[in-house]
Amino acid sequence: MKTRYLFPNSYKLFGWIILIIGMVLGIILSINDFEYPNWSANVFPLIGEKEGVLTSNVSMAWSDNNIADELASLMIIIGGILVAFSKLKDEDEYSATIRTESLIWATYVNYIILILSIVFVFDMPFFNVLIYNMFTILLFFILRFHYLIFKTKKMIRYEE
Amino acid sequence: MKNNLKVERAIKNITQAQLAQLINVSRQTINAMELNKYVPSTVLALKISKIFEKSVNEIFFLDVED
Repeated sequence: MKTRYLFPNSYKLFGWIILIIGMVLGIILSINDFEYPNWSANVFPLIGEKEGVLTSNVSMAWSDNNIADELASLMIIIGGILVAFSKLKDEDEYSATIRTESLIWATYVNYIILILSIVFVFDMPFFNVLIYNMFTILLFFILRFHYLIFKTKKMIRYEE
Repeated sequence: MKNNLKVERAIKNITQAQLAQLINVSRQTINAMELNKYVPSTVLALKISKIFEKSVNEIFFLDVED
């Protein structure tokens, strides 16, 4: 079946590896208040902080920054996209339907949680919600889609 | 939409897996169609009709809810 916008199946395993490494790094960082591991590197912020005594990253100038959290974010997003949107081994129109429905489901769940957070969470805790919200739509989709595919496979076993 | 895929399969004496292979879909897709959980595309319906050498209307029919 011709599919648009999907990666070949071979990218899926690669995606899982990047996603899992990214998530482990992200969890370690969040346990350590984003201080450790500290992988210092030169960065060039296009949009930075206002200049002051304590500011380290001003706009349009080279400066030093711990890039561990940036790496973790990129790995979770890129790995997540590859896992979510690589073809299954037996991708067909039924799995395409499940894919679409799971994506709608994930979008709803993601924004319901965000709406609840907007109403009930404030200040720094809300900022934390926004951090996780960058990834949750992908993660909800991956969980939902693979759960449904697993269920259809289990249904076949009952048939036998 | 309903269908008599299961009956047609029995007449031709082929398994879900064999039919799946013939029309290039997964076994889950055949199973979901037989359980009326999935309505196939026109392309897939035509492929199935070709395998069973019957017109699409003889294999698939509208349900009261449609």
